[in-house]
Amino acid sequence: MIQFENVTKSYPLGTIALDDVSFAIEPNEFTFLVGTSGAGKTTILNLILGDLYPSSGTVIVNDIDISSKKSKKIEELRRRIGVVFQDFKILQDKDVFENIALGLHIQELPIKKIKEEVREVLSLVGLEGREYYFPVQLSAGELQRVAIARAMCGDRQIILADEPTGNLDPKTTWDIMKIFKKVEDHKTIIIATHNTDIVNSMKKRVLVLKKGRLAKDMKKGGYEL
Amino acid sequence: MKKMLTALRRTPYQSLAVFSSLFLSLFLSLLLIFFINFLYGLLGYVESRPQVTIYFQNETTETSIMTVKNDLEKTGMVESVKYISKNDAFNIYKDLNKGNPLLLEMVSPDVLPASLEIFAKKPEYLRQIADRLDKVTGKDEVNYQKNVVDKLLSLTSIVRMMALGFFVFLMATTSIILMTITHFKVTLRKDEIELLRLMGASSGYVRKPFMQQALFLGFISSTVVYTLFATILYFLFPSVQSYLQGIEQLSVDLKVYQLIVWPITPLYAGALYIVLTLFGMGIAAFATYFAMRKYLSIQRG
Repeated sequence: MIQFENVTKSYPLGTIALDDVSFAIEPNEFTFLVGTSGAGKTTILNLILGDLYPSSGTVIVNDIDISSKKSKKIEELRRRIGVVFQDFKILQDKDVFENIALGLHIQELPIKKIKEEVREVLSLVGLEGREYYFPVQLSAGELQRVAIARAMCGDRQIILADEPTGNLDPKTTWDIMKIFKKVEDHKTIIIATHNTDIVNSMKKRVLVLKKGRLAKDMKKGGYEL
Repeated sequence: MKKMLTALRRTPYQSLAVFSSLFLSLFLSLLLIFFINFLYGLLGYVESRPQVTIYFQNETTETSIMTVKNDLEKTGMVESVKYISKNDAFNIYKDLNKGNPLLLEMVSPDVLPASLEIFAKKPEYLRQIADRLDKVTGKDEVNYQKNVVDKLLSLTSIVRMMALGFFVFLMATTSIILMTITHFKVTLRKDEIELLRLMGASSGYVRKPFMQQALFLGFISSTVVYTLFATILYFLFPSVQSYLQGIEQLSVDLKVYQLIVWPITPLYAGALYIVLTLFGMGIAAFATYFAMRKYLSIQRG
């Protein structure tokens, strides 16, 4: 469960990224965050990940108050969250297997289990046989699949995706969205996007942000600005 | 192990720089430790020798010598007085020159003087004892070792102070070099560290490979240094042994244990290796730990 209560986030130079935002996302709910650039989508994702503190209000994720100063709590929380970054953040000197296994190593799983999980998730994202490819040998769509695979494996309960289809062609975009759909029943998925087509077609919950405020919260909504 | 070696191979110049820096510091440190222990051993040896020795002329009778001995014992200034007769002196001479028959043939007990070896209760009595012995009839020579001990003591303290200063400088420089190299290595992997932190890696998890590399390089450097040092010592052993002819062993009093520092015993050799290795691994780990601290705190806005 993710809960935002009257959350305001302002930056040192006075920019207000979020202004008194409240909402709750249930476990295994699929949610789109939409809004113009600078509306506060990435700030919400960073707050959920514990990468930012709220200036006021409370953010509770899986019963952990992210305002907690305890690093252990935040680390524990992050081990339950998978993130798909806009710029992929794929490590160039590691192959596909090593990139995906990063999170599993952090969870200190046995090697055998890691191999099993990576194979499973590679099949989920359609990258079987590519485990020993290096990032330079992959297309943008494949790199994004690696990023999704990394975010999904290892019992991650929440998946945060920041513009996961931003640099992709329409066909690859849909392929990527199909991967998210495959796991929507057992993971909470939050996707920040500008992509009108996918938001309108998928008919999921949509949180519309305008200048840091939550303008609309639609249960089966479409893309609105 | 395989992962660590791969990581070292991927950053060969940084690894070589860490190794070289550790090698130099550890080699100089080992030389200093060994030299100071040797000096302390020498000081202990000289201190254990009779502090004042009076040699008598050939015609002085044993009765006269024993009177001098009794008089000295009555003063209350001496700890012990040992009488070395002409025969005792000859036996000592024979023992010292057992490998040289020519020297043994040339000397008989008659040529060697009888003597008294005196240990004072306090160093300040030495001067008075020596003055008193100077007036004894039948004396040939009075050997007063305080000056030798004092000179050695002052040399040892100077060397110890200089070594300590040099050692601190060496360690500070090495730590700074290692920290700079680690900073550089961490910067190269900054993206990976940032990603790992966002994925929930603990500080220990991120630090682990860097620490493993540091400990490994510390171990390898100290082992190479020790091997080189042992080889040098092996070749120098005959020269030092001949220089110390007559001195069976040098030891350092560690209060609870008398550590023999020359000739090198397996215990001393083992202790030097353990200290050196722990030290090499310790300084490498310390520098790495501090270099990484800044990168490991969870930076939240």
